[in-house]
Amino acid sequence: MTVTTAPARPAILQKPVSFAPWISTAILLALWELAGRQLSGTFVLASPSEVLRYLAEEWRMMARALAVTLGNAALGFVFGNLAAIALATLASVWPRTERVVAGLALLVFCLPLVATGPILRVLFGPGDGPQIVLAALAVYYTTLIPLLVGLRAAPATWFDLVRSYGRGRVSALVHVRAMAALPYLFTGLQIAAPAAFLGAMVGEFTGAERGMGVLTVRAIRALDVEMTWALATVATGVAILAYAVIGALARRVLKAPPPVILAAPAPAGARSSALQTGAIVTVLALLAWWGAIRVFDLNPFFAKGPGDVFAALILADDAAETRATLAGALGETLVFLLPGYIAGLLAGAGLAMLLVLMPILAGTAMPLAIALRSVPIVTTAPLVVLLLGRGATGTIVLVAVMVFFPTFVACLHGLRQAPGQIMDVLDSYAAGPVTRLIRVRIPAMLPAFFAAARMAVPASVLAVTVVEWLATGAGVGSLMALSASLSDYDMLWSAVVLVSALSALGYAAVGAVERRILTLYAPEQVA
Amino acid sequence: MQKTMNRRALIGGGAAAAGTLALGLAPRRLFAQTPVTLQLSWLHSAQFAGSYIAQDRGWWIEEGLEVALSQGGPNAPVEPPVVSGTALVGISAADYTAAAVEEGAPFKILGVAMQKNPFVIASLPDNPVNEPTDLVGKRIGMALANTPVLQALCALNDVDIDGIEIVPTQYSAQPLIAGEVDCLLCWETDLPVAMAMQGIDSVTMLMADFGYAVHSQTYIATEDSLANRRADLVALMRGEVRGWDAYREDTDAAAELTLQMYPDAGLDLETQKLQAARQVPLMFSELTDANGFGWWTEETVAANIETLGLLGRDVTPDLWDRSILEEVHGT
Repeated sequence: MTVTTAPARPAILQKPVSFAPWISTAILLALWELAGRQLSGTFVLASPSEVLRYLAEEWRMMARALAVTLGNAALGFVFGNLAAIALATLASVWPRTERVVAGLALLVFCLPLVATGPILRVLFGPGDGPQIVLAALAVYYTTLIPLLVGLRAAPATWFDLVRSYGRGRVSALVHVRAMAALPYLFTGLQIAAPAAFLGAMVGEFTGAERGMGVLTVRAIRALDVEMTWALATVATGVAILAYAVIGALARRVLKAPPPVILAAPAPAGARSSALQTGAIVTVLALLAWWGAIRVFDLNPFFAKGPGDVFAALILADDAAETRATLAGALGETLVFLLPGYIAGLLAGAGLAMLLVLMPILAGTAMPLAIALRSVPIVTTAPLVVLLLGRGATGTIVLVAVMVFFPTFVACLHGLRQAPGQIMDVLDSYAAGPVTRLIRVRIPAMLPAFFAAARMAVPASVLAVTVVEWLATGAGVGSLMALSASLSDYDMLWSAVVLVSALSALGYAAVGAVERRILTLYAPEQVA
Repeated sequence: MQKTMNRRALIGGGAAAAGTLALGLAPRRLFAQTPVTLQLSWLHSAQFAGSYIAQDRGWWIEEGLEVALSQGGPNAPVEPPVVSGTALVGISAADYTAAAVEEGAPFKILGVAMQKNPFVIASLPDNPVNEPTDLVGKRIGMALANTPVLQALCALNDVDIDGIEIVPTQYSAQPLIAGEVDCLLCWETDLPVAMAMQGIDSVTMLMADFGYAVHSQTYIATEDSLANRRADLVALMRGEVRGWDAYREDTDAAAELTLQMYPDAGLDLETQKLQAARQVPLMFSELTDANGFGWWTEETVAANIETLGLLGRDVTPDLWDRSILEEVHGT
C-alpha cells in the first residue's frame, strides 16, 4: 500500500501563538532568583539579578569574548554542516557507500575531545584552528544522521516518476530527495547550533588566547560565581537565539509542509552485511590514522599509531596492567553513562508525547527544553556536580540532559507527522487522543526516535567524558586527561581507540534494535 | 613537521615584526629577530608576569629574539609543542618532565622558577591543618589523580595515609567553604587567593616546608635545542631572569602590566596583585639571592630525586642542565 498524505505541520513549522512562553520564562526566572538568594554564600549559584549586575559592569569584555567564540563557532558550524551535506549526498548518489560513510563519520565523531584538542593544537599552532575544527566536529554528525533519514523519506512513486523520465540517481537526488530532506536538514541544523558553540568553547581549552571558554576556566577557578553564571547565561542565550533563527528560517523556506509517507521503500542498492561494513570501516580508519601521522609527520612521542596501541594493549610487558586500568575506568564510566542515556531517551520521548496530548504545555516546556540543552556543558558540569553532589546523580543528570533534547525535538517532529488520512479514519471512529497516540503517532515517531537514539550514543559519551574530565575526576574521561598530563600517550591513544570503538558498537546495537522494530512499524526506512 | 613549523613561525614572526614597525616601534637592533615560542603552562596571569615584563620592556628584542608567549589551559599539555619544535621552551614541573622523559621525550630542565613547590594543604582557621600530623582524622578534598602527592607527603612525615579520608573533588574551594571537606590540596597561589578575595580567611601549609621537594614552573627544552640552539636559549633565559628580577622589585606593577597586556583574560587587578605577591617566597630564596634567578644545586636536585622517587619517578641528576643558566649568570 502506498499512501501519500499531507500531515499536520511539523514541529519546526508551528508558530508559537500564545503568551505562554513569556509567562513560563518569567516564572523560571523568578524561581532561579529565589534559588540564587537561598543559596547565596555557598558559591554555586548566582541569581539573575547578580548575573545582570555582572553583565552591566563587564559587558565590554564579555562582548569581545563572545565575538571571538561566536565567530569560531559559526565557521565550524558552516564547515561541519557542509561536510555533512557532502557526505550525505555521496551516500545518496552512491548508496553502497552509505554505511561505510556513516561508520567512518561515526568513528570520527566519537573521538574524545580531551584527546583531539591537544593534537589539533600541535597541528595548527597558535590561532583559531582547533576551536573551528572542534566546532565542526561537534556538528557534522548531528546533521548527517537526520539528513540520511530525510534523503530516504520520499514516496516510492516519486522515484518511479524520475525513473519513468529515464533519469538516474542524481536527478532523483536533486528533484526528490533534496526536497524531502529539507525539514530533516533544518532539524539537524537546529540541534547543531548549541553544539558548535560548545565545540568552540572546548577548543579554547587547548591554549586559545581569548574567548568564552577561556573566561569559563578562569571564573570557575576564581570562585567567581557571578562570572560563571553570566557566561552560562550569555552562551545559553546565544544558543537559543541561533535555534530560534534557524527555526524561523525553516518556516520561511519550507512554505508547504512536506508530505510524509507510509510506503514500500524504493529498492536500495545491494548492501553488504553489517560485518563486512564493519571490517571495511575498521580497515579504512586504521589506514587514515596511520596515514595522517605520516602525512603530518607527527612526533612519535605523542602521536601513537595503530602499531603502538596494539603493542601497548597486547604485546608490552605491562599490557595486562594497561588493560586492567582501561577496563576499570570504562566500567566506572558505564555506570553513569547507561542510566543517563536511558533516562534521557525516556524523558525526551515522554515529554514529546505529553506535549502532543496536552499542547497547552508546549509553550512552557519548549523554552525550558531548549534552554537546558543550550547551556554549554563545560560551564555547567562543574556547577551541576557541585549542586547535586559528587555521587552518581550529577553525572547521570548531565548525560540525560545531553541525550534528552535531540530526542525530544526528533520525537516531537515524528509525532506530528502522523498521516492525515489515517488520523481521519480514527476520527471517524471517534478515537480519543490516547488511542491516536498509540496507534498512529508513536509508529510515525519511531524512525525519528531511533535516529535520535543512535545520535545520542556519541553525544552521551561526549557528555560523560567531559563531566569526568572537568568535574568528577573518575572514569575514562579523567584517565585520558591524566594520561595527557603525564605524557602517557600510549594509554591516551588506547583509551581513544576503545572509547571510539565502544561508541560505534553501541551505535550499531541501537541500529540492530531499530531495524527489528522498524521492520514492523515503518518499513520504508529499512530497505 | 620541523620544516613547516619553522616556516609558520617565520611568517608569524615576520607579520609581528611588520606590526612593530607599523606602530613606529623600530627594533632596537637591526638584526633579523629570531622568532621563538615560550609555551606557558596555564592561562595568562601574574603567574607568568616576569615574562610579560621582559616582553613589555623589549629585553628579548635586545637579544635578537621575537618571543611569542603561548598560553596553556586545561587541555593544553606543554610537552607536545616542545617535543615537536613548535615551542623552543616550555614551562613544566619536575614531576611532569620526569614522566615525559620516562616516555621517551628528550627533555632537560634549564631553570627553576619556583624553588618551592606551590602545593599546599588549605584549611579554615577554626579547623586548621598546620603540619602534616594534623591531617589525621580529616577529610581532604582533592583530585584522585593527586593521591601520589599526598602519599609522598605522608611518607616524608611518617603520617599514616589511611588515617586521612580522601574525598574526590574538582579543583574548587567550594567544597571547603561548604564544609564538605576539612581541607584541600591546591596551589598556594590560586584557591587560597580566590577565597581571600571573597573575604574568606584560610590557613595554608606549604608542602615544600615539610620535605615535599619538587621543582615547579621549570623551563624545559629538548636535547636537540640544547645542542643546536644554545644562543637562542641563552637569550630567552636572559630575558626571563631580567624580567623576574624586575617582577620582584614591584609585584603590584607586574600585576598591572598583566591586566594591561591581557585585557580579555577576565582578570581582576586585586586578585592578581595578591597572587603576584604570594608567589614571591616560592620563587626567590637565599639560594637565588646568592646565585641568581632559576638556580639549583646538587643538594636541591638530590632532594627532588628523593621526592620524585616517592612519586614513582626514577630520575637521575642529568635531567637538570645548568649550562644555559651558568652562561646567563656569567659563572
